[in-house]
Amino acid sequence: MSAVLKINGTEKTFDEGIPSNLSELLTALEIDAATVVAEIDGKIIERKDFEKTALNETQSIELIRFVGGG
Amino acid sequence: MAPQIYFELKNAVVGIAGLGGLGSNVGVALTRLKVGKLILADFDVVEESNLTRQNYFSDQVGRHKVDASIENFRRINPDANLEGRKVRLTPEKVVEVFKECHVIAECFDRADQKQMIVETVLTKMRDVIIVSVSGLAGYGRSNEIVTRRVSDRLVLVGDTVSGTGPGVPLTAPRVGIAAYHQANAVTEILLNELHTKLARNKT
Repeated sequence: MSAVLKINGTEKTFDEGIPSNLSELLTALEIDAATVVAEIDGKIIERKDFEKTALNETQSIELIRFVGGG
Repeated sequence: MAPQIYFELKNAVVGIAGLGGLGSNVGVALTRLKVGKLILADFDVVEESNLTRQNYFSDQVGRHKVDASIENFRRINPDANLEGRKVRLTPEKVVEVFKECHVIAECFDRADQKQMIVETVLTKMRDVIIVSVSGLAGYGRSNEIVTRRVSDRLVLVGDTVSGTGPGVPLTAPRVGIAAYHQANAVTEILLNELHTKLARNKT
């Protein structure tokens, strides 16, 4: 069943259900976890905890992505 | 500039994490502003290829960036209070090296290093604000580089998408724009938000 997550203020639909954790969400979005700072409902989730962080439709998810150069 | 502004900045401590195209230029701006103390961290040495965009000179090739930057900043202000740390920054080192800072400028090159320091500051260092940069490669598109307040303790500079890669070089003008956005964001935070804290710290 399709489900919706709110990511960076935009609703994103997942046709086969919500990814079971933050790590799987990043895989689904094809984002390298090593370059992302994640915040859920205003709280920073450390990268080491991505896999054990469950997701649901009520959360507000912020993904801050970094690209190289400096 | 109004003496009052110098007075407040005199009590500020700013960390610069990485002394490449961003950090070497951010340091110049903050030295000219007479920011009280700068903590400069980098493990690297100056290479010939760095001269295309980083604030070093040809006779400094081969020297540690920390030493070369301190030399350059002291030519601007011989009385500048500068602490150099030749370290490869890990989460533990970030907390130790920058513990007395009010604001940290994230001036790394690699995306995963940027992630590391932003996550570390936001989760391990209460009260410290970090100004980070993502997306500055290439040339032109000056007005796509913006300064954005992401949250209370995180400011993000850049266009968010222009990473370095094949055919997308880092250039002096666009790196310089991002570096001065960053220095300006640090200045704004110190003067507008840390005003009370900095005034109180005078001794």
